[in-house]
Amino acid sequence: MKQILDWLDERTGWRKLKAALLDRKIPKGVNWLYTLGSLLAFLFVLQAVTGILLAMHYSPSPDHAYQSVVYFQNEVFMGRFIRGLHRWGASAMVLVAFLHMLRVYFMAAYKHPREATWLSGVALLLVVVGFGFTGYLLPWDQKAYWATMVGSKIAGQTPLIGAYVGKIMKGGEDLGALTLTRFYALHMLVLPAALLGMVAVHLFLVVWHGISANPRRFGKDAPKDWHKQDHDHYVAMKERGQSFFPYVVAKDMAVIMVVLAVLVVLAKHLGAELEPLADPTDIHYNPRPEWYFLFLFQLLKAFPGSLETVATVVLPGLGVGFLLTLPFWDTSARRHPLERPVLTTLGVLVVAGIGALTFQGVMAPNTNAAMARDPQVEAGRRKFTELRCQSCHSINGSGGLVGPALDLEGAKREKDWLAGHFRDPQSLKPGSKMPNFKLLDSEVEVLVAYMSSLGVGPKFTANAPKLFADHCMDCHMIKGKGDDSGPDLTKEGDNREAGWIAQYIRSPDALYEKAEMPGFGKKLNKAEIDDLAAYLSAQRAEQPQVKKAPKK
Amino acid sequence: MDQRADKCPREINVPGSEQEGGLSRGEFLTLAILSAGALAGAVLGGSALGAFLSPAWKEKKEDWIAVADFDSLPEGTPALVNYDQRRADGWVVEEGRSSVWLLKEKGSVTAFDPHCTHLGCPYRWDAAKEAFLCPCHSGVFNKQGVVQSGPPPRPLDRYGVRVQQGIVSILPSRQSA
Repeated sequence: MKQILDWLDERTGWRKLKAALLDRKIPKGVNWLYTLGSLLAFLFVLQAVTGILLAMHYSPSPDHAYQSVVYFQNEVFMGRFIRGLHRWGASAMVLVAFLHMLRVYFMAAYKHPREATWLSGVALLLVVVGFGFTGYLLPWDQKAYWATMVGSKIAGQTPLIGAYVGKIMKGGEDLGALTLTRFYALHMLVLPAALLGMVAVHLFLVVWHGISANPRRFGKDAPKDWHKQDHDHYVAMKERGQSFFPYVVAKDMAVIMVVLAVLVVLAKHLGAELEPLADPTDIHYNPRPEWYFLFLFQLLKAFPGSLETVATVVLPGLGVGFLLTLPFWDTSARRHPLERPVLTTLGVLVVAGIGALTFQGVMAPNTNAAMARDPQVEAGRRKFTELRCQSCHSINGSGGLVGPALDLEGAKREKDWLAGHFRDPQSLKPGSKMPNFKLLDSEVEVLVAYMSSLGVGPKFTANAPKLFADHCMDCHMIKGKGDDSGPDLTKEGDNREAGWIAQYIRSPDALYEKAEMPGFGKKLNKAEIDDLAAYLSAQRAEQPQVKKAPKK
Repeated sequence: MDQRADKCPREINVPGSEQEGGLSRGEFLTLAILSAGALAGAVLGGSALGAFLSPAWKEKKEDWIAVADFDSLPEGTPALVNYDQRRADGWVVEEGRSSVWLLKEKGSVTAFDPHCTHLGCPYRWDAAKEAFLCPCHSGVFNKQGVVQSGPPPRPLDRYGVRVQQGIVSILPSRQSA
């Protein structure tokens, strides 16, 4: 064994490399806050590995992107888990990169001789944010589409060059196929290359200068010409410290394991959200960015009208400019946060501001009713369009007249009948003009789900009307029974879906700030609220309106 | 390593450790780092590798496709039948025309994949020679798909066949005869 290692050492010099990387001394006093950099390196590996698997099952075009993500989640072994890790890993990376920067900021570790390390760090932070922004367009779901729409409009507001910036970002006039391939290439090729390059520079500088020591306090007399003195102090601290491996690495590893455990739990239990397919015509959607952009989103509300560029361009620009120039004008010897009151206060205020805006953004009520939709039904609706079923059948008055209208199909037919009919129309309806489309099992399944949803109200129990009588009738009425101090709910189902109603019953002011109705979240349990919501969403005008399409 | 162990004289005795005198702090931490690394690698690498290798054991889903009327097939002579197929190709549904060789003999039907088992060329039926001939490297199969001469390594691949109510359906996944 030793002979092999010797042979390798003679050819590669690995022993010197190991001594420089692993056996280097770390200054005394380095604490848990210093583990964030290693944690980021680990998260990068996590993102790279999960990202490669995602890329293997992804198609960067608007007509297949969403389906390919669904396929990865449902059909590929561990797919859902891997996508979950990537999604939560991304959030962790943004958060940890920000915390890492805060550690360096508050300890003024960016000062001489580590200015270049700081600059490469700021660049890395921007790259990480870029990853986040380009990454969440890729699934091509509602969130992807609308968040990118808002993002590109914001970029479009840049003074003077805005129109060009918006077009360059989108790859054209509209948000579409060209935007998706553009973001895909950035996310998969440009940003990883940039990140690897910057990480190499960053790590080399960290090893070359040695990690900064804990800041000391000078009291009244901070030295003026301090570079040499600081260096000597650092060397002394380093001399008294432990070696990087295994003493510091052990701490890094402990933190990495805790974070990995959290990510595994999140990925396993929550997975990664996938909203319905992007729909540019949907006017009921509430566009919200990923949580780490929420503070910027919220900031817009504070600068209405022509002041908007302050929030979209000026403040972010000032922020980045501040970070990039910081080590060049903050050059005194003082590094302890308590001896730099102005910058420390500024840092605390900015962090508090971002925190407050993020919190506000999370708590802000959605303007549009959140429609709770069954994904199978949605998939069926898309398949219905894709197969051009409306050439022969009409729903809600739009569609052809060759086949029967399907408005009440769910109420008329059992699921088994529908499935059999889709597989072979002749078998159940001899003489049917409907051709056999040779549909795949998965296609039959979603079409049946969609058909069964047509013309039927949600299912509620016999207890629901009683719940309504006990808790709601003092203010609301249905078909003349009850009180009219609150809105009449006779046709509530025409306006709202059950999911929204349930949410409203639980806490009305979360959806509508001026709601006078008290929340029932504490009085009723979840099953009762869902039951009541189903009952209310079933309150519709007697029959769904079947309009005859005008004959041509 | 030795120097460091001297500087950190704290000893950690791992219960049940077979080593005499337990491990030094440095050795213990090294061991802990390696195990944690192995665990993280197993979680990450395991799921990634699992997904990467999963095509190896994933069963291909195919639906039975009705291709012909039993009565219309000639007795004892292979017939090339074209059919429309909707096929799930990953997340894409492909619609296309495919073909299959059907041989009806003694009341049962055999379906051959229309590609030569050598390099996948499309072969044809030569009625005079009573054999399937492959144009690429002169592979010859008899009526039952057994190799007569040429380079093909195995008999013609067969599809699953089902005859119900006079309709011949096939399951176009390759099954070696």
